[in-house]
Amino acid sequence: MESFKRPQQAIGLIDGYDPLDPFAPIGVRSRATVEPPDSLALGPLKKIYLIWMVGASCDGCTVAVSGGTHPRVEHLLAGIIPGLPRVELVHTVVSTESGAEWTHNLFMAERGELDAPYVITWEGSIMDESISGDGYWMGLGEDPATGRQITSLEWLDRLSPGAAAVIAIGTCATWGGIPASKGNVTNAMGMMDYLGKDYRSSFGVPVVNIPGCAPIGDNYLETAAAVCLFLNGLAPLPEFDELGRPAWLFGETVHRHCPRAGYYEEGVFAEEYGDKECLVELGCWGPVVQCNIAERGQVDGHGGCMQMGGICIGCTMPGFPDKFSPIGAIAPGSLISSTTSRAVGGFIRRMRGISRVDKNMTPRWDKDIPTGWSRAKTGPRGSMKTVHKFYSKYQHTHEGHN
Amino acid sequence: MCFKNLPIEFDETGKASLKEGVRDPYAVAVAEPKGYVRRNEGPGAQLAAPPRLRDWNIDPMTRVAGALAVHTVLDLENRKAVEAHARAMLFRGYEIILQGRDPRDAIDISSRACGVCGGVHATVSSLCIEQAFGVCPPPLGVEVRNLGEVGEMFYDRPLHLGLLAGPDYSTALVSVTNPELVTRAEKTLAPHGDVHGYRTIKDIMDALNPLTGQIYLEALEWTRVGRIMAMLMLGKYPHPSTLLPGGVMTTISTSSFNEYYTQLGKIFDFAKVICRIWDDICDFFLEANPAYEQVGAREMNIAQVGIWDDSTAYDATYANINHWGKRRWSKPSMIIDGKLVTNNLTDINMGFEEFIEHSFYEDWTRAGGPRYRTDPLGNPISPHHPWNKTTIPKPQATDFRGKYTWDTAPRWDRRTVETGAYGQLWGTALTGDSQENPFFHATGHSLQMVVPRHGLPETELEWKVPRTLNALERNRARAYSMAFTSTIGMNCMLKALEYWRRGETKVHTPFKIPQDERVAVGFWEAGRGWLAHHMVMDKGRIVNYQITTPSTLNAAPRDPFGGLGPYEQAIVDTPILESVPDDQVKGIDVLRAIRSFDPCMPCTTHMDTGKGVIVREVNSCGCTLE
Repeated sequence: MESFKRPQQAIGLIDGYDPLDPFAPIGVRSRATVEPPDSLALGPLKKIYLIWMVGASCDGCTVAVSGGTHPRVEHLLAGIIPGLPRVELVHTVVSTESGAEWTHNLFMAERGELDAPYVITWEGSIMDESISGDGYWMGLGEDPATGRQITSLEWLDRLSPGAAAVIAIGTCATWGGIPASKGNVTNAMGMMDYLGKDYRSSFGVPVVNIPGCAPIGDNYLETAAAVCLFLNGLAPLPEFDELGRPAWLFGETVHRHCPRAGYYEEGVFAEEYGDKECLVELGCWGPVVQCNIAERGQVDGHGGCMQMGGICIGCTMPGFPDKFSPIGAIAPGSLISSTTSRAVGGFIRRMRGISRVDKNMTPRWDKDIPTGWSRAKTGPRGSMKTVHKFYSKYQHTHEGHN
Repeated sequence: MCFKNLPIEFDETGKASLKEGVRDPYAVAVAEPKGYVRRNEGPGAQLAAPPRLRDWNIDPMTRVAGALAVHTVLDLENRKAVEAHARAMLFRGYEIILQGRDPRDAIDISSRACGVCGGVHATVSSLCIEQAFGVCPPPLGVEVRNLGEVGEMFYDRPLHLGLLAGPDYSTALVSVTNPELVTRAEKTLAPHGDVHGYRTIKDIMDALNPLTGQIYLEALEWTRVGRIMAMLMLGKYPHPSTLLPGGVMTTISTSSFNEYYTQLGKIFDFAKVICRIWDDICDFFLEANPAYEQVGAREMNIAQVGIWDDSTAYDATYANINHWGKRRWSKPSMIIDGKLVTNNLTDINMGFEEFIEHSFYEDWTRAGGPRYRTDPLGNPISPHHPWNKTTIPKPQATDFRGKYTWDTAPRWDRRTVETGAYGQLWGTALTGDSQENPFFHATGHSLQMVVPRHGLPETELEWKVPRTLNALERNRARAYSMAFTSTIGMNCMLKALEYWRRGETKVHTPFKIPQDERVAVGFWEAGRGWLAHHMVMDKGRIVNYQITTPSTLNAAPRDPFGGLGPYEQAIVDTPILESVPDDQVKGIDVLRAIRSFDPCMPCTTHMDTGKGVIVREVNSCGCTLE
């Protein structure tokens, strides 16, 4: 191939272009953004490159992060959050430059020519290019010297040793996800499967995993922000669990914070879709799945799965999707747990009901409830009245014991 | 009679059949690729002859969703693009992964084919599976789906107009390619400045600047409003958590409607503004240089399958698909050479074929006869129809005379058809009114909309079918589709409230999984138009699952008959209108042409996604050398 002079070079499209020229041949370079004045020095890290790469992805993680609000991605790009570095994003969906000018960023990163550290965020499964023959499963750019097609996996090989951190985002990049499930033709796998347990970034960090399909945008943004605050000496190193997940985000089952969990506790289950009660008997896996969507919501506190009526299908878990299939079928273990909950919770619910009737009364409603909304009830009568009397007495004997 | 190339005829009752006496009705005679192809005369030599041809490989093509590469050749002598190859750069194997699974898994798995169009796959998969199961959702379930999908489009439009396409018309880029236009823009008052608040065209172009412009930055926030609306009905976005065959799982309450409605109000105002911004930008460019009408222009062939069901008509059956299809708010419509040829989904389905002569797949038709010769109603279908297709991937070296993409070449009646948000307006406008409603009226040549008051007063807007299908008109119509969609959202909202008022609060119908052989198809539209899931199931398992997306159509390569795909057609003959010397030409008009389609590659190749553009004839160069 030596004698082959690339047509572009022959004609001069690429020749003579200055990679540092803010106006590269095709469009404006992302880094043409004006550097904001930063008078308060809050740590050494002023700028960081975020090189966002994809394998077998659907771009859903990109979309999820762009919807995040804590912090907003446009605020990171503008560098207006005190203590956080300004983020230079190299991403095919948003970069202004195309083609060779875009891949030039990656070559500069590989050669250590960027003026700040770079973090790789990888979206999508790793596909095995050793079985794609003369072709590729995922091509991304070409070698400007030879015109050879480069695969996205080759970029990972070239860039992961020098990266300040490798963050796998989404269930495909973390564990393999759908492309790596039954029927996997591309020998797809997760980032840890590919880089191995001994991988450390240039800053000494193993692969960080932020699962979810799609993940909650804020989970990614918050983790990235927390790591940057640490690097700037402003906050402790965030805690990660044994699978590299942010521990404060994935340490609990989604059931524990589910707004419907109280129904489970009292043994009340939704009978059909659209009902407001616990969804376990309609196929929800929430009690065993590690996820925080129940307290965080999907975008700015809105949405979420069980909040809106959707069953948990386990999309943050390494076993997704095959171990949660068929979706909508009842988890086998739930037969035992929900039967138990019905028996125990059912009893507790009735006890609470008794108390609730009493607490819905003002002292003067003893004989008549002045509501126009229902047939007037007078408070508890007969034996219930006796129960409440004893309950109240018991309550007061415990005054002062907290 | 909508078919000109396929030998299909209709009897007096409208029943379709193959013409008698045609021996091989679906024969494929592979033609030599047309257009400019470099010759193997040694390294670089082929370009020496016409000295001002520039071979340009855009890999990756950015500011599109997913992995796309485009190869083009620019003729600098005549200042136009003369050759194009569109390449999808990623293959993941979703269709193969779906085989053999419980059909209930298809909704959540196929949803993950695309996270950009993050709700449409789950929706169309629900439609497909409920057709196979024979289960029809209750009316409120249909409206909840509609409302969620209205929300999705409110996320989609600002994303494309603000973040992906907008920068190509910004001061930052135009000052490099056409400085004289910036000077002109400074002196040109924006005709609709009273609506959008930008005094001159230059002010609008400043606001379109990437990362710093107001329109760019606000677009992200508008996508969040759309997402929240989608999530109120569908749970999660992308990848909804409440869709299933027979309706939705969503727990609907008074709060759901209240929160949705308050977001919809904001959208009314945004729609009024965005339409006028793009009117002003498009008209400015077209007036400054009428040749912009030719940027991204191609034959007016548009395929739409319709979206947003009428809950009083939809019954989930294939038997009545033409009836309920035509009752959709946005109409199924096949436009060929600018004329509406059919609104029947059976016709659209019947004439649809996928070819792989230039794709990294093996031909499945060689492995014996087709599984099905007709659809369930007896209409003839091709061996190249998705119900007969088998996905057989075969990665291999790129060869622009042979195979060069992971995308297939879908064609209708063997014609190249494109699809898009703009097609929803196009098809509905040409079809004319079918449902009385207070908010929009289709005249046969335009769409008249009344966007209700909110912060801005009630506004009448009219979108007229343009005389050319080109880059600017695609973008203008995409902006108007914000207004169109907002009026549909209002219609669906009123219907949902009516069911709620009547106490028809069920959102789901229970189903049983059939054990016999079933074929089914879901038709719905993504942010970019056409979306179809074709399924065959038997013994309670998926036998075949085929996905054709808008960008499967739009990013398609050449077909066996030598016809180019839509991106390719739009690039070829696009004029280079930059006012700079040859060596500084950036190809912005080619990029505008491609981006006007709003490429979304993740789901294009079932899914293969490609990023970027490639320009080399690997085989022709490499083979000669070796």
